[in-house]
This record gives sequence, structure tokens and C-alpha cells, in this order.
Amino acid sequence: MTVWRAFKRDRLALLGAIIVAIVVVVAILAPWLAPAPDDATIAVHPVDGLLAPGSGHWFGTDQVGRDILTRVLFGARTSLRIAIEVLVIAALVGMPLGILAGYAGGIVGDVIMRITDVFLAFPALLLSLALAAVLTPSVSNAAIAISVTWWPWYTRLIRAQAATVAASGYVTAARALGVSHVRILIRHVVPNAAAPVIVQASLDFGGVILTAAALSYLGLGAQDPTPEWGLMVNQGQTLFQTHWWVVTFPGLAILVTALGFNLIGDGLRTIIDPRQVLHDRGS
Amino acid sequence: MRQRGAFVATIAIAGAIVAGACGEVKQATSPPPATSGGGTTATTPAAPTDATFTYESLNTIVTSFDPATAYSNEVIALNNIYEQLTRYDSTTKTVKPLLATRWTPSADGKTWTFTLRPGATFHTGKPVDAASVKASLERTIKLGGGAAYEWGAVDTIDTPDPATVVFHLKYPAPLDLISSSAYAAYIYDTTAAGAGDLAKWFETAKDAGSGPYTVASWSKGQENELRLEAYPAYWGGWDGAHYKHVLFKYVQQPTTREQLLESGEATFADRLSPELFTQAKSSATLQSSERSSFQNLIAFLNTASGPLKDPNIRRAVALAIDYPGIIAALKGSAVPASGFIPDGLLGYADGLAYTQDVAQAKSLVAASAQKNITLTMTHANGDADQDLVSTIMKSDLAQIGITLNVKPLEWQTQWDQAKSTNPKKRQDIFVMYWYPDYADPFSWFTNLFHSASPPYFNMSYLNDKAVDTTIDALQSQTATDKAAAETSYAGLQKTLLDAAVAIPLYVQTYQRAFAKTVSGYVDNPAYSNVVFIHELTPTG
Repeated sequence: MTVWRAFKRDRLALLGAIIVAIVVVVAILAPWLAPAPDDATIAVHPVDGLLAPGSGHWFGTDQVGRDILTRVLFGARTSLRIAIEVLVIAALVGMPLGILAGYAGGIVGDVIMRITDVFLAFPALLLSLALAAVLTPSVSNAAIAISVTWWPWYTRLIRAQAATVAASGYVTAARALGVSHVRILIRHVVPNAAAPVIVQASLDFGGVILTAAALSYLGLGAQDPTPEWGLMVNQGQTLFQTHWWVVTFPGLAILVTALGFNLIGDGLRTIIDPRQVLHDRGS
Repeated sequence: MRQRGAFVATIAIAGAIVAGACGEVKQATSPPPATSGGGTTATTPAAPTDATFTYESLNTIVTSFDPATAYSNEVIALNNIYEQLTRYDSTTKTVKPLLATRWTPSADGKTWTFTLRPGATFHTGKPVDAASVKASLERTIKLGGGAAYEWGAVDTIDTPDPATVVFHLKYPAPLDLISSSAYAAYIYDTTAAGAGDLAKWFETAKDAGSGPYTVASWSKGQENELRLEAYPAYWGGWDGAHYKHVLFKYVQQPTTREQLLESGEATFADRLSPELFTQAKSSATLQSSERSSFQNLIAFLNTASGPLKDPNIRRAVALAIDYPGIIAALKGSAVPASGFIPDGLLGYADGLAYTQDVAQAKSLVAASAQKNITLTMTHANGDADQDLVSTIMKSDLAQIGITLNVKPLEWQTQWDQAKSTNPKKRQDIFVMYWYPDYADPFSWFTNLFHSASPPYFNMSYLNDKAVDTTIDALQSQTATDKAAAETSYAGLQKTLLDAAVAIPLYVQTYQRAFAKTVSGYVDNPAYSNVVFIHELTPTG
């Protein structure tokens, strides 16, 4: 309840929450909200290509006559799906490794962290690009390619948290009382590590959506006719000077969604993990 | 887009056949060069004396400098550096003089005598004489690369005097037309390298042509890739206003190409998107040219393996496609195809277009034993027009219950996969452009539909002896009896379309945008994307 009150006081975070809520609702209700749901899948209407925004098509049509509003609305599904897939994979891989490295320490911790460092040594987007180029371009493979670059951040984050908890007095006491490692991990380490993971994941949502859009823009992510905002920007890039709406609306969708997630992430960080804010501001 | 690679001469030699009497005598005596670049050479007082023509190309320019084997985009530069014996004028549909001022075939069409232009010299300073014509063409034929197959009819070449070249043919062939080819018909100084290796000499960005321009510098992989300078002793002269410098610039992004044109940093763009072209047309500083080309986009259906081995499924695919929709989506950059031969070439016929009939296509699929058909289609990566066509075809085939997986690939990957010795690795549908090496439809049929093992450009993998026999007679028929050739081409196209071996999707319209300061430009689709720069006049 305290968190919610603090959250409500942060107007920017509230704005972010509203944006994210709208995006989520749009993603869920897209088939009912979209004026031409078939245009999100396989339908084309070439003779209606590049119609300007108007009463028939609020966001205009693309080169093969598909309703852009429909594809922008369905694009929310694609972007959220990729973001959720990436963050779930990153958390499922990164958290156990981080906990193990932090709690066990020693050689096990060193080996895990050196492997993590190897992945972190590559620029994230470059590694994603390389992987996506090797895999067949698709939404799922884009999610896999991004996940490979994303999990090490979670490992590093959790490791620090787990090491701190492992060295704390109450954990030492619990060990002395004969509590098992598994129970210590479940009861003490994981709950303590959850907060920074939530903050990080909320911050990462926007980043993943942007990275996925970048991959699709470069032809390495979603493929036509999948409605994906980055792909839509790619398909309309030569039209920007002559038919602005083809690029502008999916571009705005990316901008607004990424902004919403970043605002909500910043707000959560301030509330849940104020030390990091102080650290950031002081640095 | 079709990228031309080393060509196997045997493919086309197999298509060239026997005898008959020569029915038509072509002769030209007028001295001026072909006016494919417009031929307007009027001098204007404001004309600059040191103008540069900057050509923006969608593709990189040079893959080879060897005029014998070059078979790719460098043709846009080489046709300004080298010259052929003749040049085809697509406007008048006639062969015009170039390095030869006249030519005469014998009555049986097997001996052709060319008289050379006096005063022409190579950039090495050596005169263009009969011996150099013989030497350069013999080298081209011997190397057998690129489009050298065109010369398959040539038996021997005689040089009775320095101004006369006599070709003795094994069978009648339209040698005046072949001599005008955009590829492998260049005359060059074979002694340019002295005792050295001529092929290696060429690959150091040197040239030995007789054309108006010579290579000044080449920066491989750079945006400003190739610079040419005027050859002062060019036989066509430099009186009046001419572009003295030429820059070939590789600019991939259409928006950048348009912006460079608008800003005056470029003179000519070979291709913009249809939308940018529309914008350029209304620009105060630009002018434009639109012309139906000899370049068509073809979808080749795999007749040898996979679901499309069944002719009824192939017919269903052909009937499912929304052809007017494709033309509409391309916004003026394409016109409907009628058969495989574009309008303007021998053998073109109306009424050879497929018409969409979804109901019939569905019934063909339903009658088939195959269920849940999935097809793989490959096309050139980065070609926006082909992306659009793929999107439309995917939607059209979904309507008849066929799933189309589209794979945009780099040309070499697409081609290698199609030529794989393992049929399972090959695609079901292969999409590529085709345009002729010289202004004649023969190359479509000998390259694309004649049986070939291993496959080269025969991406339908057709192996039909009757079709082969008809194709083998075409070149001879063209030289001796054009009416018979027309009939053969019409029958052949009908056979191929009835069997749905391949689908002609559309004929491209060449949309050029260029500076208002350029005077005299006329597109010549027989020389795809070539601008004959010496024939233009800078006016501002």
C-alpha cells in the first residue's frame, strides 16, 4: 500500500503506468478494437495502397492497402510478446545463475561470473544482430537472440544481492541452526533479490521493445505480414517524404510504449530501491 | 535482380542452330553514332566547359574491368569506355553504326562484312582496325565468359584490309544485332598490356577502349566508386558542350539518392521508389523519364520436385495471383506482362497474360491429392518491389489454402541454393528479373527454359525435348525468316504458360530522375541502365 501511495505521488510514473495500461489493454482487445482485423494477418488490398489518413482509415493505409491503425494496434501484441519472452528467459536463466554465484561464491561463482563477463563484453545490439542473422528471421528467434544478450545483466544484479544476503547475520544464524541451503535460498535470498529484478525488468521492457524493433527494422526480426512496429517503419522508410503516415504511426507507437515503460521503471526504482537513485544521482 | 556471373557458353551454343537462306539485308551507311542517348548536341551559350555527370547507382558499379567477361552492373560504365561495332536504337528499332559504318550479310546469311569507321583510336593510341576487331572478339570468344555465348555462330573472322572485317558463320545469325550487345561485344586493344597478362592488366582498373571516356580512378567499395575522364582524341569529338568528367556513385538508399539529386550533388539516378519518383517529377530542379523496359520479373515454378511438380498446382498458383493488384501496388513503375517477351521485341504478343481466377485455383487445389501445401519462395534481398510482390502473393496463395514462406536472400545465396545438386534444398518458386543481352528475346528462352544439367538460369528445371527443339531453331529463324520466328515464339510462350512453368509477373517501367541541366537524354532499354553520357549536353 505504501508503494502504491508513493507511486501515485510520482506523476511521471503514474503517466507511465497509464501508458502501459493502455498498451496492455490495446494488446488484449486488438481484435475488437481494430477496424480491419484481417489486415493484421494475411489480407491485402493493393488498389487501396497509400491512402492518406481519413474517415475510412484513421491512420491511412500502407503500400498494399492494409489499414495502418489495425496493424499498429496488433503491433502492441507483438512488442509485448517479445518483451515478455525475453525478460522471462533472461530472468529464468540469469536469476538462478546469479543466486548460485552469489550464494555459493568461490570457484563456482568465479566461473559463472567470468562466463557472464564474456557475454557482457559484446555490445548487446551487435550480439543480438549477429545471432538473429544466423537464425531464420522470426519473432521467436528475435526474442531468443535478444535473450542471449540480456540474461547476463540479471546474473550480475542478482549475484551482488545474493552475496550480500548470504553474508548477512540472519543467514549465518539460520545456517548455524541447521536450516538447509534450499530453504535459505527460498526464504531469504530470492525474496531479497526480487525487488531489484522487478525494477530492472520494468526498466528493461522499453529497452527490449526498442531492440526488437531495431532487429525487425533491419529485417532480422518479425517478417511480413506479422504486424510489428519496427518492421512497419522499415517498410515505409522510403515513403517518409511522400507518405508520412506509413512510418509515423508505428514510430510513435514505439516511442510512446518505450517511454511508458521507462517512466514506470524509473518510478518503481525510486520507490523500491532508493539507494540506486541516490547512487545514480551522485555519480 | 539478376546479377550476371560467368556464363556457361554451352547453354546458349546448344540453342543456336542451322541453316536457311538469309531473307533480309541490313545496311547502314550514315556516319553519325546511334542516338540512343538522344543525339541532341546543340550548344548553348550557358553551357559549362568542364561539367561533371554524376550517376547514382542502386548497386555497386564494378565487379570486373575485363571487357571480354564483364557481365554485371559495370555495363553502365563500360558502355561509355568501350564501343561495339553497332548500336541498337530502341526508339527506331534499328541497328545503327558505331565502330562499323556499314555492314552487309551474304545471301545465305552466313557471311557478314563490316566496314570500319576511319579515325577511331583506342585510349592506348592505337587505331581501331580490322586486326584489333578480330583480336578482341577472338579473345572474348576464347575466354567464353559473360555473354560470349552470343558469338556461338561465328566460325572464322577474316581481315582482308585494315578497314574490313568478314565474319564466316556456322549457321545464319543476326550478327548486326549481336554486334550491338551491351555485353561481350566490345572492341578493345588486346596489346594494351604489352607482354603482360591482359586480364590482370584490366583488373588494375585500366581500360583499352575506344569510347569517349577513360578510367581515371576506381575506389572499390567506396560511395564515390568510379571516375572517368574525357578521352581527348575520341572520334566523336568534343565540339560544343559535353560532360568531360563522370562520377559513378553507389547510393543504396532511395531517399538519399533523391536528396542528392535535389541538392545538385548528383545528376542522374537510375532508380527511385515510385513515390520518390513522383516527388522528383514535380521538382523545380529535376526532370524525369519513364519508359517501359525490356526487363521483366518472373516467378519460376519448380517443375522437377516438390508440390509444384504437379502441373495443376502450378496452374492454381498462376491463377491465384492478383496481377492488377501488383501493378497497382507498384504505382506506375510496372506494366502488365503478356507472355515472357516484353513489348518492343520480336515475338511480343498480346493476350498471353494470366487472369486471376480464385475459384478455379481453389478447385484445382481441392482436386489434388496434396493437402496443406506449403511453398518456399526466394527473391532478392533489399528489392522493395519484390518485397511488395511477395506480400501480395502470400496473401493470394493463402486464399487458396497454400502457405507461402518467403525468403529474401542475397543474390549469390539465392542462386547457389537454386543450383544445389540436392533437389530438396531447392526452392519451389524462384523470383528474378531478366533482360536481354542484346535486343532480342532469344536469351529468355535459351537461358531460362532450355534444359540444362546442371541448372544454370533454368530455375524451373524444365526438361522438355520439344521445347528444346523449338528453342534450338530460334536464332536461325530470326536471321532468315522473322515471320517464322514470331510464330515459334508465340507457340513456345503458349506452351510454357499452359504448363505454368513460370509466371511473368510484370514488365518494369524505367523511371529515371535527372537534373534539369541535362539535355538530350533518351532511355535506351536495350542497354539496361546505361546512359550514353557523351551524347548529352550540359546546359546550366
